[in-house]
Amino acid sequence: MIRWLTEAVPRGRVAAFRTLIYLFVAADLVVFTPWVRTRASVPGELYHPLLVGRVLPLPTPTPTLVAVIFWALLLLALLAATGRAPRLLGWAVCGLYLEWMIIAMSYGKVDHDRFGLLVALAVLPTAGRARHGDTTRTEAGGWALRVTQIAVICTYFLAAWAKLRFGGLDWLTGSVLARAIIRRGTDLADLIAQVPYLLIVAQFGIVAFELLSPVVFLLPARWRLAMVGFFYSFHVVTVATITISFAPHLAAMTSFLPLERVRPLVWARRLIGRGPSEAATTDAPEPRPADVDPVPADQDPVADGAERTLDDQAPVVGRPAGP
Amino acid sequence: MENLTTRGRATRLGATALGLVLLLIGTFWGSDDDFPFGPFRMYSTSNPPNAPAPDTRVEGVNSTGAVIDLDQDATGIRRAEIEGQQQRYAADPALLAEVADAYAERHPDAAALVEVRIVIRWHGIRAGRPTGRHTDETVVRWQASR
Repeated sequence: MIRWLTEAVPRGRVAAFRTLIYLFVAADLVVFTPWVRTRASVPGELYHPLLVGRVLPLPTPTPTLVAVIFWALLLLALLAATGRAPRLLGWAVCGLYLEWMIIAMSYGKVDHDRFGLLVALAVLPTAGRARHGDTTRTEAGGWALRVTQIAVICTYFLAAWAKLRFGGLDWLTGSVLARAIIRRGTDLADLIAQVPYLLIVAQFGIVAFELLSPVVFLLPARWRLAMVGFFYSFHVVTVATITISFAPHLAAMTSFLPLERVRPLVWARRLIGRGPSEAATTDAPEPRPADVDPVPADQDPVADGAERTLDDQAPVVGRPAGP
Repeated sequence: MENLTTRGRATRLGATALGLVLLLIGTFWGSDDDFPFGPFRMYSTSNPPNAPAPDTRVEGVNSTGAVIDLDQDATGIRRAEIEGQQQRYAADPALLAEVADAYAERHPDAAALVEVRIVIRWHGIRAGRPTGRHTDETVVRWQASR
């Protein structure tokens, strides 16, 4: 169990996940949940701090406080995305983002889409330094990714539990989806709502998928990625029908993916190097071993299974593939 | 390969266990107040297949008599937050003056609001499907004293 929990991953994956998560925090501030900034103009009278906001002596938001946190968080998140000073910047972003969320959720409505992201922010500072493309494996980084994965799956599995706790078995045959569509449905959802019993069937489907989500940890690597793909497709449907994106959860869920294969900077550099002159082959600096082209996706996951005893994390890039 | 020390491993195991225990306590006995360890109760309440669905909105009347939609863009207050604090507004309708203030803050040049009300549009539902019919109900009303 403890070996599974701290199963090593390449540092390159930790670096990619770190960059992605901190870029998401910056994007969250300005794109995904920009309404938090409007707290500056909402009267303090409506601020009802959550338990954590009452235990910690957090101040009632004022326009100055909201502006300071916004700009500090934006700047520090962008710096943290570079991977520099992972502990110092990581803890600072974690603390500021938590306070940002306490402000966001203390006016009468709590969102449930960011537990995985908060866990990722809390564990990334412990993952240590990680350079993009580095294939050295790290257990500290493996733990950070693993607990983020667990948080993501808890969000599904325990949501099914909450439905039983608050809604009871009647939830399955009730009208919760019809309600959601009336309140915030798209044209597509209005079409779907006309099909008899389809919404009820969908309610059964949602609970079944939430209860079965922990299976993702038992699947072999390739099927695991397919199941994560299914999770993403579920959210595509919820966006298309009731415009609920769960964006922070989707960002945290990338902890399941072999992110070290995604190298936008390397690709861009190669493109530029090749573009204007043919001399690129001789002039371009020799790529470091860490920057070598990833193995094609379909060739890797199972080929080296024989020599790997622990292969629960997503397959690794940069290792010899098979005999 | 970068290995953890025995202590590093134990600390991580402990932190994982603590986080899971808090989350389970929150899920079984907690509420939204326990964020971030509260229950994941999005869309978890059960509604009978034929019960009408509420669609809440906040609207205001300005000094010229025009009805203004006071949505999140107009006031910075989210609809779910109005619903979350609806009991407070019902107990003390004067609190809706705060909504008028939030609107004035964001629209300094607009005509002042003389009335703010929370209106619920009840949509009919049959066998889990919308019927397309609805009725409006004003649940809280505040009028500026002049």
